[in-house]
Amino acid sequence: MYSFPRDLYVDVRVEESFDTQIRFKQLDLQSQKVRKEKGAFIRVFDGQRWYYSSTTNTDDVQAQIDTLAAMANPNPEILSHPLVAAFEVNQETVLQYEKSSVTDVPIQEKQDLLHEIIRQIKDETIVNHSSYYVDNKTIKSFYSSKGAAITYDQQTCGIRVTLDVVAGENKDQVSISKGATSVSELRGYADYLQQEIAKSVAFVRYAQPVVPGEYAVLLSPEATGVFTHESFGHKSESDFMVGDETMRAEWALGKQVGRDLLNIIDDGTITGNGYVPFDDEGTRGRKTEIISGGLLTGRLHSTATSVALEEGLTGNARAVDFQFEPIVRMTTTYIDKGTRPLQDILAEMDQGIYLETLKHGSGMSTFTLAPARAYKIEGGKITDPVKISVVTGDVFSTLLEVDAVSEEFELTSFVGGGCGKMEQFPLPVGFGGPYTRVRKLQVQ
Amino acid sequence: MNLKQEFITIQEKETTARVQQSRVQAVRLKDITKKGVRVYSEGKIGISGAVGEASDALLLEQAEQNLSAGIAYPYPLTKDYKDHRNYNEAPLSSKEVLEYAEEVLAVLRNEYPDFSFSEFVASNEINVQIRNSEGLDLVYQDAFFNIQLILKEKATANLFDGGLSYLSRQVDIERFLNFNRGFLEAYRNKVDLPKDRRLPVFTIGTSSINGFLGRALHGERFAKGSSLFSGKLGEKLFSERVTLDLMRDPQCSLRPFFDAEGVVLPNDTLSLIENGKLVRVLTDKKTAQLYDLEHTGAATGAYDDPPTIDGAHGQSLAFRTDSQDVKGVLAGQPGIFAFIFSGGDFTADGSYATPVQISFLFDGERLIGKLPEFTMRSHINKMLGEDYIGTFDNNSLYLGDIPSQLQGYFMDIVK
Repeated sequence: MYSFPRDLYVDVRVEESFDTQIRFKQLDLQSQKVRKEKGAFIRVFDGQRWYYSSTTNTDDVQAQIDTLAAMANPNPEILSHPLVAAFEVNQETVLQYEKSSVTDVPIQEKQDLLHEIIRQIKDETIVNHSSYYVDNKTIKSFYSSKGAAITYDQQTCGIRVTLDVVAGENKDQVSISKGATSVSELRGYADYLQQEIAKSVAFVRYAQPVVPGEYAVLLSPEATGVFTHESFGHKSESDFMVGDETMRAEWALGKQVGRDLLNIIDDGTITGNGYVPFDDEGTRGRKTEIISGGLLTGRLHSTATSVALEEGLTGNARAVDFQFEPIVRMTTTYIDKGTRPLQDILAEMDQGIYLETLKHGSGMSTFTLAPARAYKIEGGKITDPVKISVVTGDVFSTLLEVDAVSEEFELTSFVGGGCGKMEQFPLPVGFGGPYTRVRKLQVQ
Repeated sequence: MNLKQEFITIQEKETTARVQQSRVQAVRLKDITKKGVRVYSEGKIGISGAVGEASDALLLEQAEQNLSAGIAYPYPLTKDYKDHRNYNEAPLSSKEVLEYAEEVLAVLRNEYPDFSFSEFVASNEINVQIRNSEGLDLVYQDAFFNIQLILKEKATANLFDGGLSYLSRQVDIERFLNFNRGFLEAYRNKVDLPKDRRLPVFTIGTSSINGFLGRALHGERFAKGSSLFSGKLGEKLFSERVTLDLMRDPQCSLRPFFDAEGVVLPNDTLSLIENGKLVRVLTDKKTAQLYDLEHTGAATGAYDDPPTIDGAHGQSLAFRTDSQDVKGVLAGQPGIFAFIFSGGDFTADGSYATPVQISFLFDGERLIGKLPEFTMRSHINKMLGEDYIGTFDNNSLYLGDIPSQLQGYFMDIVK
């Protein structure tokens, strides 16, 4: 297929994507487009340095390989370089969306699906609304000079509705979103979207400013997902640890970072936003137990970090698209379900805050959660809606504050946004989990 | 069929030296072209687009097919206007980028072995064009050198502890290094947070506030009553010193001087809030006509989208400088320069809170020492009202030759 130059490691990732986007403003169609793209990312390694190129001219990948090879220094020992030796060589085709492809659904059906949902928006406090349907199907092919030859597909679709709500002096813009892996699955969420719209309107109507302070916080599965991603997920991405003795000591495997009820998993084999059957270096996706019984048991790797830290491959080298090189990223990351009913956990809370939905989160040494819908907890019950700017906690200590996880469990899916890491944004990731109680977080 | 045609082309070239642990780990080359075509007929718009080289004929055919979607666009096209601008005719070569990267990293490795630096040193070239069959012909070309290095103190277990930033059309490595020597010395000097519960806080750039104001100034939300500013046209919102412009001057913004409908503002700027008073809101042609608002040239949209008023406007907003002397304003009182404050947000009614991850004690000219993390809190009306200190040209922190500003407010501090 390609002529790989001698004495260099080369891999080529070709991405062929199909995207649909249909936008409405109230019931007026604003745009309807289908975008088909094809691009390639080429990597050449000489044992000292990487050389990358991204191109939309996929007929001319060979020329890009040759250009990069001319910049590199041939290395007869390249195959025995520890990094090159560690690259998996998989040869497989996994096309699981051939029978439920979004490319086979007529665009009018997609438009009708969205229209049917927004047609029912009638609340008088909703003064304006906009909405979109999006889908994406990407077929990735990966070839390497070691002999890897992989082709697989990924697919998501979803609906997002944004409402401008005015209820007297209370006004806000709120968004509701649901993602799926096929149009037929998405059709099943019409009632869910209507319920979410009603909840959001009621929230804007009645929410009052929170009294800032330290609270026990109950997280919904969605909020648990963002909490897990931001409070710990990024810490498990091992590129931050390579060459950093302080980080390696702080996050040594076997260290207790939570109570024994806490289990955190990253799993690239789960379909949805974080589905990665093979990562962007050709490594097979898999389930990685990051925290087991409160102990740090694993972390997420690219091949380079796996070699540097002498830990196994995990299939977490991901690029946001063909314009970027793969770096260590999460796939679907979640707290595993517990054994206690939500009602029992809630009943123990005299006073606290319930975070139901979020606008965004971030994770440095202090992680942040910016709630969309939040409520007071009083006397073991979820009561009045409250407006909160931000909820914060310390990534080093907060996991130890998790003292209850429910048996109820849900992996959530959405469209719009994603995970950002340095210049690569937005990367689709999956998340969710049980209802999770954190004993104390700062609420502002 | 009487078709009007519009062509949008975006070309981005880049050479990036990827940096890991203070060494160039990879070199990345990028050359991406995106093309969009719009056709207009009988009050409708049809669109198409492609990444990579695609023939105009094919894109025109696809855009004509898209007319059948029936998307209304009964507005006059911008016409008979030619403006070609190139803000940097001497972009760096790939070789120069690598040489600068190696030079900077050698100094940082040698002088600051207690830190490690990662991310990138890059040269970016951008060429954005919009042309139509009615005589519109706009071209924006630019090139800039970009250093974005995240900084990690080797003694901490944080993911990262800060960063060095440089964005410049002309490269002055010696000045970059000299400024950052002072910056890194301040990192090394750990100081306590002043005990006051309210402190003057200065920031570079105003992205959080701009994002909030961009939503509040959205013309359609304003007209529909859902904006915080609805019904307040002509009213005083903030301090008399506050003037906020829709800014399309590429000298400051590194962005095209035209909007998604090819509209160019006189002198590339238009005030929205003038001396604290709301005078205009953000509109595209549709919003202006639909709600009888002044057209302000604020259309957004991807290269293959119909123009729209929806989208993020924060980056197109700029406060006008209203104050000159940060040190004089501080008058010996300790100030804070908030460098990284991410993750917080405004509530719908304007309350604001955010953790401040990286900040420095600041005397108005010089960063004195690194402060511990804290949370700051206020409200938009206070930040740009009674607690507003001012917007200053940034003469204190050298971040390249793209003009930047410092903005200050008294904020409530939560430790």
